[in-house]
Amino acid sequence: MLWYKAWLETRWRFFIGLGLLLCSAAAAVATYPQVVKLLPLVPTDVGGEIGRQIREAAELSRSYRGYIWSNWFRQNLLQMATLFAILLGTAGVLSQSGGALFTLSLPVSRNRLLGTRAAMGLGELFAIAFLPTLLIPLLSPTVGESYSIAQALVHSTCLFVTASLFFMLAFLLSTVFSDPWRPLLITLGVAFALALFDFVFRFETFSVYRAMSGEMWFRHGRLPWEALLASAALSAALYAGAVRNLARRDF
Amino acid sequence: MADSWIIETVALRKTYDGVEALRGLDLQVPSGSIYGFLGRNGAGKTTTLKILLGIAHPTAGDARVFGLDAHSPQSSEEIRRRTGFVSEEKDLYGFMTVEDMIRFTARFFPGWRSDLEQRYLRKFELPRDRKIKALSRGMRTKLALLLALCRGAELLMLDEPTSGLDPAIAEEVLQALIGHVANEEMTVFFSSHQIAEVDQIADRIAIVDRGRVVLAGALDDLRENFRRIRVVFEGDAPSAELRAPGIARVQRKGRVLTLLSSGGTDRLVDEARALNPLSIDVIPVTLKEIFLETVSPSTSLGAGGEE
Repeated sequence: MLWYKAWLETRWRFFIGLGLLLCSAAAAVATYPQVVKLLPLVPTDVGGEIGRQIREAAELSRSYRGYIWSNWFRQNLLQMATLFAILLGTAGVLSQSGGALFTLSLPVSRNRLLGTRAAMGLGELFAIAFLPTLLIPLLSPTVGESYSIAQALVHSTCLFVTASLFFMLAFLLSTVFSDPWRPLLITLGVAFALALFDFVFRFETFSVYRAMSGEMWFRHGRLPWEALLASAALSAALYAGAVRNLARRDF
Repeated sequence: MADSWIIETVALRKTYDGVEALRGLDLQVPSGSIYGFLGRNGAGKTTTLKILLGIAHPTAGDARVFGLDAHSPQSSEEIRRRTGFVSEEKDLYGFMTVEDMIRFTARFFPGWRSDLEQRYLRKFELPRDRKIKALSRGMRTKLALLLALCRGAELLMLDEPTSGLDPAIAEEVLQALIGHVANEEMTVFFSSHQIAEVDQIADRIAIVDRGRVVLAGALDDLRENFRRIRVVFEGDAPSAELRAPGIARVQRKGRVLTLLSSGGTDRLVDEARALNPLSIDVIPVTLKEIFLETVSPSTSLGAGGEE
């Protein structure tokens, strides 16, 4: 029944996230023919970092696989999955949902309460990472293209493992603060700072977002094992912190 | 700790950010009693209940329920399995319906009493399909009580069960509680700052003030033992020190000496008579008077306060 409660408390965030990403995936596929038509119009004389990125995006869009990675995995999915990972993480362990004292008076351990909520949130994040992406191989024939399910699964795995990091950070913070706003704002701040850091320093190995988009897999056909393992380890550490924090907290 | 105590705390302390909520609370609640935990707002009642249920952690001291350590996560789970709890806020899940909330709660308690569930649903006229956030405070209190009573619990812990209710609903809730306890073998431990409520249903009480129990016992014994003795003199009341045990409070005002006795009234009357007064009246005191005298900032029962 704790599963049922966790589901009731998070389902709208999940459905909104899933719905938006499914629409976004369908739109990414449907607009490919227009993108191809517009490619010759892309300006080639823009200087600086912005110009480089425009040229790179145009170059990638010459192949369907490149277009999907550039538009979907590297942008839409990455940004929205990060946002919804944070929103699912801040859905509250106890205090924000109301009835915290009632929940704590039930004959269940705090570890079980926390574990159920974390598993539900991660399950929803898993669905958000995989279902919209699997729509792409399914819809690609409608625009005369094909996309490998295996490719989609690899990218979704990268996204899920690294987005779990943001989920767990928000989750940990929601055991620290009683209101939902501080965990949300702090985690969004961290996500933004990491993106800015990435943009300025262009780290290859230690970039969360590059690992999340599966850039190494796309460009070199190799999984970013180091980043994935580091993300998983850090997520586990954040979860352990949440367990410890909730165990010693007074309500 | 004795087995006969269903709840026992020894020198229980709790500090929140440097503020002492409990300052060495000693409490013994016998099995089968209806125990009123009486105190002003902020006296430490809710903190005590939370510690007993493992919702808050004690800073020091010992708290046991059913002989189990309330601070240990494992035994705390067992305590909660055998206890029905209603919090002061009656904060249930607003997003669930009454039916959902009952089904949700029932799954955690193997001894869930479906017969009582049906009875209280009818008695309280709770609308099964209504969302909890749409219920009035009175309805929410009744639902919270239903959820506590149907658990098949050996112990009920209620934190200010009638707080925020109008007198009619408060009475309905109290009557339901009395009726339930009359039919089921259980102990009720409830906190309140409403003296009339405690007077109505409790058979034993503890008065808590500033994080300590300042008076505890069977309500009938307290009523029997506490007396106000009004001694009137021809001139000003003498300032002679009274030595009889059980003097809780001494007040001198002009010709009148008023004594509050917590026991041994006869000896006190004899001692007062030796001062050659014009008259001596022995007056029974109410629980309200006992409470006010006990928690008054200027007095201390143990010290025999004098004004």
